[in-house]
Amino acid sequence: MESCDFLDMLREGGHLPEATTMAQGKRDFESVEGTTILAVRYRDGVLVAGDRRATMGNLVVYDRADKVLSIDDDSVMAISGSPATAYEIARMLEMSVQYYRRTQLQKLSLDGKLRTLSRLLRQNLQMAMQGVGTVIPIYAAYDERDQQSKIFFYDLLGATFECVDFSTTGSGSHIIRGALYYLNRWGETPIAEMDEAAALELVVKMLETAAEYDTATGGYRATARIYPTVMRVGAEGIRSVGEDELEAIFQGRMS
Amino acid sequence: MLEEPYRWVEAMRNRRDYLDDQLRGASPVVATHYRDGVLLLTTTPGPRKVFEVYNEIAFAAIGHPADIEKLRKAVIDIAHLEGFNLSASDVNLQRLVSFGIGPLVKEAFDEIFRSPFLARVLVAELDPSGDDVFYTIDADGSFVRAGRAAAVGGSEECVDAIVEYLSAEPADAELAVALDGALKAWGCGRLVLDSEEGEKPSAEQVDEYLRGALKDLQVEAGVLDRSLPTKSKFRLLGDDELQDALGAYSGA
Repeated sequence: MESCDFLDMLREGGHLPEATTMAQGKRDFESVEGTTILAVRYRDGVLVAGDRRATMGNLVVYDRADKVLSIDDDSVMAISGSPATAYEIARMLEMSVQYYRRTQLQKLSLDGKLRTLSRLLRQNLQMAMQGVGTVIPIYAAYDERDQQSKIFFYDLLGATFECVDFSTTGSGSHIIRGALYYLNRWGETPIAEMDEAAALELVVKMLETAAEYDTATGGYRATARIYPTVMRVGAEGIRSVGEDELEAIFQGRMS
Repeated sequence: MLEEPYRWVEAMRNRRDYLDDQLRGASPVVATHYRDGVLLLTTTPGPRKVFEVYNEIAFAAIGHPADIEKLRKAVIDIAHLEGFNLSASDVNLQRLVSFGIGPLVKEAFDEIFRSPFLARVLVAELDPSGDDVFYTIDADGSFVRAGRAAAVGGSEECVDAIVEYLSAEPADAELAVALDGALKAWGCGRLVLDSEEGEKPSAEQVDEYLRGALKDLQVEAGVLDRSLPTKSKFRLLGDDELQDALGAYSGA
C-alpha cells in the first residue's frame, strides 16, 4: 500500500529540509522562548491565548505576531520558541492533516495528529539541542470520541502530555502558573466550571500579569489596537475571539 | 517488430481502440456551474468517483477504480507539494493538468509494453474571479479546457450531448435546480451511449429513462462551493440533498 504520510512524501521527493547543524560545537542549552501562551479548559471547551510580542534577546522585533494557529477545523496549536521553526512545524502539521484526509478519504484521528506533531518536534531535536529553533507547543483539540475539548503539551523531545485544567508555556509562563493554580483551587469558581465570559476574562488578565513581569511578553495596547490572540476550541469547531470582544473586556472590567 | 513505423502506428491504434472499448460502458461524469460554484455528478455501482484534490480543486473520473486511484493520488501529491513549497494560491489547475496529469497519462499511453491508464479524468477549479474552469483529460493524455460545462463518458457523442444539454441551462441556478439539470444531462448522455445511431433523446424519453434507471443506481455528487467559510471548498452532497432532486423520479 502506498504511504499516506505527507512527511514521507516530502522526504521521498527530497523536499524535506535536512536538519541544519551548527558549524561550531554544542552551545549552552538554554530555553529561548520569549512569549506567554496559556490554555484553559472551561465549561464548554478550551480557550487558547497568546500575547503578540516577538523578541530577539532584549529587542522587540514585532508586536503583532500570531502565536495561536489553526491547524484544521477542530484543533489549534499555540507556539512558544523560535518562530521560524514553529511556523514551519505548524504548516507541516496542517498540510499533513489535509493530505491525509484527501488521500485516505477519512479524517486523521486526534491520536494521529498528536503523533504527527510529536514526530515533527523529534525531527527538530538536533537544532533544539544546540539552542536554536527550540519549539514547545500547546495543542488543543476537540476529541469527537470523548466529546470534549482537550489540551496537550509537549516537551523538547516530542513527548505528549494531556493536562486537565490548564497549561502554560513560554518565558512568562512561570509567572502565571502559580496564580492559575491558586485560582483554580481556592478561587470562587474552579476553571472547569467557568462560563465562556469568565474564562475569557481570566486568560486576558493572566496575559496582562505575565506582561507586567516578563519583558518578552507584550501587553495589550488600545491605541495601536494590539490585543492578544484568543481561540476557542469546542464541539462546533474552532473560533477566533474577535477584537471587539476583547476590547470590551479590556475597557470594561480590567481598569 | 515495433521498429517499423507502420507497426508502431498500428499498435497505437489498437491501444486506442482497446481503451475506447473498455471505457464505452462507463457511467458519464457531468460537470456544470451553479450559483455558488461548480457541481460534479455521476452514478456509481460502488466505488467513489468524485473527490477533493485541493482547497479549490475537485477530481472525478471514469474507468478502472485502481487506475482512478493512482491518478487521484498523483494529482493530490503534486498539488500538496506545490502548496507546501510555495503557497496555496500557487496551486493552479491549468499547471496541474498541463505539467502533471497530462504528461503522466501520455507517458503510460506511449509505452506499448505497459498498460495505459484505463481512465478519463475531469477536474474542476474555483477561480477567485468567478471564472471557474473544467479540464477533461483523455486516456491518451490529451486535455481540453472547458468553460460552461464538461463531461467524460463512453463516447464522443455522449459527451457532446451532455455538454450541449448543460450549455442551454442557466449557469447561476440554485443547487437543487442545477442538480436536476445535471441528472437530466447525465440521462441524456447515457441514452445517447446506449442508442445504436447516437441520436438525441427527447425530454420525455430522458425522464422515463431516469425513472427506471435511478432505482438501481447510486447517484454521487460533489460541489466546490465558494460560500463555504472553510479554506477547503469541496463537499460531497448528502443523501438529503440528493433525495430532493431524485424524489421527482422515484414517485411514479
